[in-house]
Amino acid sequence: MKFELSDDQALLRSSTRDFLARACPFEASRRTMEHDSRGYDSALWQGLAEMGYLGLTVPARAGGQGLGTVELAIVLEEMGRACLPGPYLDVVLAATLLAAAGGQDALLADLAAGKTVVTIAREEAAFAGSPGVPARFEGGRVRGTKYFVPFAAAADGLLVPTRDGVCLVQKPLAVTALATLDPGQRFGEVRLDHAATLVGPPGLLERVDLVAAVGAGAMLLGIMARLLEMTIAHVQTRQAFRRPIGAFQVLQHRLADMLLKTESTRSAVYRAAWCLDTSDADAALACAAAKAYAGDAARLVCGEAIQMHGGIGFTWELDLHFYFKRAKTLEQHYGSTESQLERALAAAGY
Amino acid sequence: MDLQLSAAHLHFRNELRAWLAANLPRPWREELRDPRATETSLIELRRAWQKKLYQAGYLGMDWPEQWGGRGGTEVEKSIMEAELARADAPPILNILGIGLLGPALIHHGSEAQRRRFIPPMLSGDEIWCQGFSEPGAGSDLAALKTAARLDGDHFVLNGQKVWTTFGPWADWIFVLARTDAKDRYGGISFLLVKLDTPGVSVRPLRQITGESEFGEVFFEDARVPREHLVGQTGEGWRIAMTVLGYERGVGSLANSARYGRDLAQLAAACKELGRTGTAVREKLGRLVVENEVMRANGIRALANLADGRAPGPESSLEKLYWSEFDKRFRETALDLLGPGGQLLRSSPAARADVDWAREFLWSRAGTIYSGSSEVQRNIIAKRVLNLPQDAR
Repeated sequence: MKFELSDDQALLRSSTRDFLARACPFEASRRTMEHDSRGYDSALWQGLAEMGYLGLTVPARAGGQGLGTVELAIVLEEMGRACLPGPYLDVVLAATLLAAAGGQDALLADLAAGKTVVTIAREEAAFAGSPGVPARFEGGRVRGTKYFVPFAAAADGLLVPTRDGVCLVQKPLAVTALATLDPGQRFGEVRLDHAATLVGPPGLLERVDLVAAVGAGAMLLGIMARLLEMTIAHVQTRQAFRRPIGAFQVLQHRLADMLLKTESTRSAVYRAAWCLDTSDADAALACAAAKAYAGDAARLVCGEAIQMHGGIGFTWELDLHFYFKRAKTLEQHYGSTESQLERALAAAGY
Repeated sequence: MDLQLSAAHLHFRNELRAWLAANLPRPWREELRDPRATETSLIELRRAWQKKLYQAGYLGMDWPEQWGGRGGTEVEKSIMEAELARADAPPILNILGIGLLGPALIHHGSEAQRRRFIPPMLSGDEIWCQGFSEPGAGSDLAALKTAARLDGDHFVLNGQKVWTTFGPWADWIFVLARTDAKDRYGGISFLLVKLDTPGVSVRPLRQITGESEFGEVFFEDARVPREHLVGQTGEGWRIAMTVLGYERGVGSLANSARYGRDLAQLAAACKELGRTGTAVREKLGRLVVENEVMRANGIRALANLADGRAPGPESSLEKLYWSEFDKRFRETALDLLGPGGQLLRSSPAARADVDWAREFLWSRAGTIYSGSSEVQRNIIAKRVLNLPQDAR
């Protein structure tokens, strides 16, 4: 029994951290987030493909590395730490769906090679609770409107869940950009009246939802770990009343709570990933718990990070707000906290 | 990363599960709601249960065999604690002896002390209580004033201890006493005192639950044989710190099993009462999630132990997590049950599943005893985050 990473896993962590530091230092990510209309950098995307990250969990038969969810969590935690913009998690989830469907090895190989970008179009309404019109697949065509489609403007194709099954459509797509507060994520509203091919039954999304929960949880973990580091560094150098503000017990206790939330998220996320990889009976509960907890924890950690930085924490200039905004996207998408609470209750049998 | 128990640990766990199934007369919650149960009868039941565990070789799990232990590992001890919780076994009566004094004697005691005190501690024949806190020394424990003056081959003890859990039923107390008024930390010594020594008196204190599980202990010229000093004169603080490290230890797995059982009862109660609206579901869902994360913390702690990583100051995170969760859980349970949740066990209308009113009141204790939440946050800030010495 061992919670720490194996040698191979530790190597994956350190090499990912090195790669991201080299290929997308924060200044580069900031440029992408502020100025790139697609929301990610093509050269970096090719780098992610060449280094095997895009095919991390893609089966070996389709040109991927065939690694597990623990390895995916390691990579996503590092991407969270780096505040990496772009559709990495979204493409991994599309690949998860295609691998579960079977018979899609050619497309999977293209995804892993970075030749094509496919994401999943889930949301059927812009606001929670508003009744959407469910997308339908009939006579070889898919019809409906999808909201908050990840990186729709840049995608070559979309996986579209409908009540009749999940189908695949190709570009050109009619996309209206939905600009949100998070410049690290791009969304579009997509009106569909397209020829489509059926990929498989709606049940394929079950596995996707579990991986999405762990994956978003891992990115949230990386964000929290990074902001805690930044905040500790800040309170140790920032002076007020002739001492570093980190000497004040009122901040020390809140920093202790930030560590508690961050490390508890780490326990929950990696346990959930391990449960998925071993088909553990607790996997559904562990995944829902990890995502719901990570979302709540990130609110506290990101909020406290801004508060303890004071005025500078509210400026565009400081990097902090990009993390704060990524965290909000990750919290509300990939299975919102509200939906994960219901999933947790269902998994526990309540 | 591998979160599966090893084959040997699985074997140990399964053997223990089978033993519990054959030997546990009935779950603790049923003992508690037996109308004939009294405070004294429950103590005797716990004593008998402890003896049974001891005779089967399940106590002193990680202590050397030559002193009455099993010679096992801390991993087996954690597994055992989790299994006892899962089976809803009665709590170990001599928890302060086994949990705190035992490690102190193993690390710092003399051979004669280990042989004299450990076997009856494990069997439940001698119950121990802990004499650390004083009216003027709680979180600031080193401010303690109870004095021990050497007089020939005895220490003469004067002073007062308070919040002494099990004081009213214990046979012995381990005491931190001041042997040098001028040396704040180095002037403290660790003494073992029999409670029927002339000059020692115990007064029960009534707690907010109405029970008297703790009390006050007074020392007036009580004479304690010199051989009941643990370690050397002036080593008391160091010994106490070893001991408190054990107290904060790795219990998340056992705790989440216990909370999981009460959560299942709460969920069933909500269903039965028709409390299925979204506000209720959200509250219940957060409790389930937080308890599951506690379990993940427990699995991580167990895996670290098995991996040869002894728990350090980060075990304060576990104490902080469960004790703060306990308060939220019990508050929320009353929210969900409504006024009926406040009924005392003696009321015929009270629910039979869990004594919700008592658990609610009890939850206020966990963030105070064994190092308050404030003390735990101080430890985390200084020893895990390495923040500067604070300005209070």
